[in-house]
This record gives sequence, C-alpha cells and structure tokens, in this order.
Amino acid sequence: MTEMALPVDLIRVLSLTVVITSVLAVELRKLKLAAVAYLFQALLIVALLASFASFNHALYWWAATALVTKAILIPWFLFRTIKKTQEIERSPIVGFVPSVVVAAVLMIGFFRLTHSQVDLLAPTALAQEEVFRTNLAVAATVFALGLYALLTRRDAIKTVIGLCLLENGVHLSLVSLAPGLSETALFGIASEVVITVFLLLYVIEGVYREFGTTDTFRLRGLQW
Amino acid sequence: MVAIESPAELTSVLPAAIFLLPILAGFVVLAGGRLGHRFCQGMTLLTSTVMVGLAFQMAARVFGGVVLVGWGNELRVDALSALVVLIVCGVGVVTSLYSVRYMEHAKLSERSGIGKPEHRLAIFYALFLWFLGTMTWAAVTNNIIMLFVAVEATTLSSGLLVAFFWDRRALEAGYKYLMLLTVGVTFALFGCVVVYAAGAATGELGGRDALLLSEVRGVAGLIPNRTALVSVSLLIIGFGTKGGIAPFHPWLPDAHAEAPTPVSVLLSGVMIKVALYALARTVSIFFPAIPQITIFLVALGVFTMLLGVLLAMVQDDLKRLLAYSSVSQMGYVLAGIALGTYLGCYGGLFHLLNHAIFKALLFMSVGALIYATGSRRVSDLGGLARRMPVTSVCFLVGALAISGFPPFNGFMSKLTVYLALAESGLWWAVGVAVLTSLLTMVALVRPAYRVFWAEPAGGVSRLDEVREVPASVWGPMVILAMACLALGVFPQIAYRLLDQASAILATVGG
Repeated sequence: MTEMALPVDLIRVLSLTVVITSVLAVELRKLKLAAVAYLFQALLIVALLASFASFNHALYWWAATALVTKAILIPWFLFRTIKKTQEIERSPIVGFVPSVVVAAVLMIGFFRLTHSQVDLLAPTALAQEEVFRTNLAVAATVFALGLYALLTRRDAIKTVIGLCLLENGVHLSLVSLAPGLSETALFGIASEVVITVFLLLYVIEGVYREFGTTDTFRLRGLQW
Repeated sequence: MVAIESPAELTSVLPAAIFLLPILAGFVVLAGGRLGHRFCQGMTLLTSTVMVGLAFQMAARVFGGVVLVGWGNELRVDALSALVVLIVCGVGVVTSLYSVRYMEHAKLSERSGIGKPEHRLAIFYALFLWFLGTMTWAAVTNNIIMLFVAVEATTLSSGLLVAFFWDRRALEAGYKYLMLLTVGVTFALFGCVVVYAAGAATGELGGRDALLLSEVRGVAGLIPNRTALVSVSLLIIGFGTKGGIAPFHPWLPDAHAEAPTPVSVLLSGVMIKVALYALARTVSIFFPAIPQITIFLVALGVFTMLLGVLLAMVQDDLKRLLAYSSVSQMGYVLAGIALGTYLGCYGGLFHLLNHAIFKALLFMSVGALIYATGSRRVSDLGGLARRMPVTSVCFLVGALAISGFPPFNGFMSKLTVYLALAESGLWWAVGVAVLTSLLTMVALVRPAYRVFWAEPAGGVSRLDEVREVPASVWGPMVILAMACLALGVFPQIAYRLLDQASAILATVGG
C-alpha cells in the first residue's frame, strides 16, 4: 500500500481547511451561513477521502457515501428546518469575541496536542506516519470543536451542527484508524448520522411550534 | 486470567432471524396501517410472541454447550447474548400485550403529533417493533462497530417514541434524549474504533478479525495500557450515558417519564440493560490487564446507586421516581459486573434480569394508575387500594422486590452483589449498597402507602369513580409479579443461564 504516493500536500491543505470550516460553522451566527460552512466542510471531507483512496480503494465508496449523506442530505435537512424556524442563532452562552478566541485556542492547542501524541490514540504503525498523523489530529480537533459548540450554544439548530461536527471528527479518524472497515459498517455509521439529524430537526420543528423558539434554555419544564 | 474455552460453533439462522423478523414486521405494520388498529396490534403481538419462541430456542441451543454464529461470525450468540435476548423478548411480549388497551386509551387522535391521527397507532407499533429489533441486534452482533451501530439504532427507533405525545414535556424530553444519547454514543464509536485499531495493531489478528469482539478479547492484554485507557474512558462515557450511569444520567428521568408507559417499560426495563451489556462486553476485556478500571467502575456504580436513590426520594411524579430508581439500580448492576469476578458478574447479571422484571412491573402499575385516574402524582392520589386491588398488590410486590425484600427476586440478586463486593474486600461499597437498599425501600414503599392506603389529601371526590383497569392491562402485571416471586423463591430457575453467562463475562479471578 505504500507503493502509491499519496498527494501529501493536497491532503494537508484540505485538512487545515476542514479545521477552519469547523470554526466557521461554530462561530457564524447566521444559521444559513453556518450550514453553508458545514456543507463546505462536507465537500472537503469527500475530497480528503477521495485523495486517501489511492492507498485504500474502499475509501472511494466511503467518499461517495459521505457525498450523499453529509454534503447533500444533511445540509438539505438543515436548510429546510432553518427556513421553517428562525434564521439567526439565539445568542450563545459565550460572547462572540471570547468564543472566537476560545475556538482558536482549542483549535491550535488540540491540533498540536494530538499531532504530537498520536500514539495515545493509535498504536498502529500506519497512523504514526506523517499524513495520517495530520489526519488524526484534524479528526480530534474537529471533534473537540463540535463538543465545544454543543456545550456553549443554546440554539437547538446550532447544537445539531455541533453534533454533525462531532460525527465528522470521528468519521475522519476512521481513515487512519480503521482502514479495513467493511462497507456495511461504513454504511451503517453514515446513514445513522443522517437519520439522527433528520429526527432531531423534526423534533426541533415540533419544539419551535410549541415553544415559539429554538432556544434550548427555554426547555426547562423538566428538572429534578 | 480465566482460560477462554472455545465451545463448538454452530452456524444457525436464529441470530439473524431474531432481529430481522421484528424489523420486517415493523415495515409490514407501517404499510398495513390502514387495515386498522387490530391489524397493528395483532402483528405486534404475533411478532413478539414468535420472538420469545426464538429466544427460548436460542437459549436451549446455547445450554447444549454450543455458540450460535451467523453471517461468518458477524453474529454470535453465547449464553450472555442469549440472556439479554431473552430479557428483551420476554419484556417485549408482555409489554406489547399491555400496550393494546393502554394505547387505545391514550386518545392519540385528539393530540397533535407525528403524522396523521389515523396513522399514529401504526407508527407507534412500527417504531415499537424496530425498537425491539434493534435491541436484539445489539445483543447478537459480534462486530464492534456494528455494536455501536445497533446501540445508536435503538436510540433512533425510540427517539420519536419518547416524544410521541408531542406536547411540551414530551418534545423537551425527546430533544434531550436524541441529542444527549447521540453525543454520548458518538464517544462510544470513537472508543470502539480505537479498540479496533489497537486490536489490529497487535499484529495477532488479520484484517477483519480485529472487528470481532470474540477475537479482540484474546489479544486485549497486548494492547498498550495508555491506548486501552483512552478507549475505556470513551466507552464508559458512551455506553454509560446510554445506560443511565451517573453523572451521565440527566436524560433518563425526562425520557422515561414522558414517554408513553409501554415505551417507558422498554426504556427502563430493557434498553439501559442493553447499553450496560455493550459496556460490559467491551470494557471487561481490559480488566485483567488494568485492574484499576474495575475499582473505578465499582466506585462509579456505587456513586450511581446512591445519587439515583437520593433523587428518587424527592420526586412527586411517580414515573420520574421510578426513572431515578432505575438509575440507582443500574448502579448495582454496574458494581457487580465491574468487579469482573465470577460472583460479581453473576450478581450483576442476576440483578439485570430481576430489574427488567420488577421495573417493568412498576412502570406498568403506574401506567395503570394513569389509565384509571389520569394522574401520576403522589400528592393527587390516595386510598386507591380498595378500588384498584390488583394494581395495588402488583405495585407493592414491585416496590418490595426492588428494595431487596425477601422473598422476592431483588433480595437474591442484591445479596449476591453484596457478597461479591465483600469477597473482593470492598466493604465500603457493601455499606453504601445496603444503605441504598434501605433508602430504596423508603423511596418506593412510602409513595405506595400514600397512593393506595392513606386517605387522599383533601378528600378528593374525583377518585371515587376510579375503577380497576381491564384484565389485558393488569394481566401482564400479574405475570411479572409472579415472576418476581418465582425468581425470589426458586432462584435456581435462572441458574444455568446466569452461570454460563457469568463464566463468559468474568475475566478476573478463578
């Protein structure tokens, strides 16, 4: 599998752009723009998977699945719900400027940490090689940014975008960690995200009709 | 370390049939929804009955000393899987019987909700069957990634069931349920992927074998400790969230209380057990190499049991009370299984089985109260024992069983957990567990007294017209109450299955 040269530079550029789109998806207050950032990230992931596919042909199938699920279906669901509910995100817990700072610190810090400590996650020889190190570091960073969005955003649609980032992070890590994954498993993982997002947005539309807002802080009827 | 003997493998269609059947039946119900309520209910009852039959057949084969495999070792049923499948199917059939009258009474057509009113019951039963199917799938799969897929599928199939009543409370519960569980289980996926990568990296397993739980288990000792700890933490967060382990439990009372009662029964009675099964299957392979994990998990279990019961004690809403007590009882199961010893696993699994029975019984009894009175608040109710004799006795049996009162089944399994904790020298854990048991008694028997025997507060005349629920509602409750008594007096009924299952799960000690 090493006989084929991977387009290393391309993969690096794509990987770093994926991280930047995550920050955008988290920080943009206009939900449509955030969804566009997510769509852009999905396309980058498809390109990444396709460029890794020269060493592992199963990844072509993965790239096609990602195209359908992440770049077409999920953004479509997001746009549909945003249209039916509200366009501007409810203000998050953290203000805009501090949030950008936190996101940037998270991004750089997490990337450097995972890039240097890859063996913690992956004892495989493959994952220690350079491009895969970057891939894993990007995966972990996207995961961390998604978690950050989930913890600090109070807008329900924004939390769904955060969840999508979280999933993207894990899915990216599969390239390095689980190269031998079967198509059924990949299909299961990918379709599950779509169904999750569909159901969540469906429930959020119901919440919007009942509560008149997608602010999760208003979901306080049930405590203790 | 216990030598893992390899029993004869027998290729069989049973493991595939047990989860494909309900999933197909769900589609049939959805497609044939226009044929009316009776069709949906009939299909569900028929399917769940056939599932119990298949589950018993599987258990019987496994007793014979074989492991059933299907699809080239992708599916694998040993005694542990057979036990979980039996619990899912057993509670499933009783619940589908219970749901017939209960859901008719719920006046679905007068509420807003999913789809058109006339289709709602078909949607309910289709999701109900898919929920059962995905849970059995999680129990029979041998592929570590598909285990995640199946566990997440149980969340997806039950998500709309939690929000089924589509009012403010149900929607809030549904949103929290889907969001928190998906986030949690995504951690588990990360954990599963790391286990897989680490298993493949040991170089002992070729290609796809590293995906198989039964194979990874053999090489777990070769995985570097640091990687093992990363994956174990991810798995504990992931499956622990799903299993209602504190501090990841906050979704649980909302979802279990706001879902329609038959769904509460499945959530509390079965689903959280499936999650703990997944946790036990994956994490226990690391016990021999890193014994500290066992102590950590026992401590987590003890924390869970105490926190759960303390929160249960302050509830006025009976369903929330039961939900918090589920959290508490999951603590016992975790504390037992986490010891990793044979006795610990036996106690944990026995409690898992028993909790499925008495928690289903308790939720059904509260459902009967809702059916008859329209309320589930302790403060609204009182003096119902004369009007609802069967329900009152069933609730009391459940309350005594869950408090570990002899001669009911909870006594036997809790005693086993205490003994196992003592055997491992963890006396502090025994102390907390016994204290929790006493508090559970207070938490459950006091509301039982208030609701059924004390005079109603302010002499509510509304309760004068209350009548006992119909036989198809109390029938399932009586069956479960008898099971509580039977397993308490004759615990040897379950011995063979539990013995074999514990032998598989136990990875520590002789």
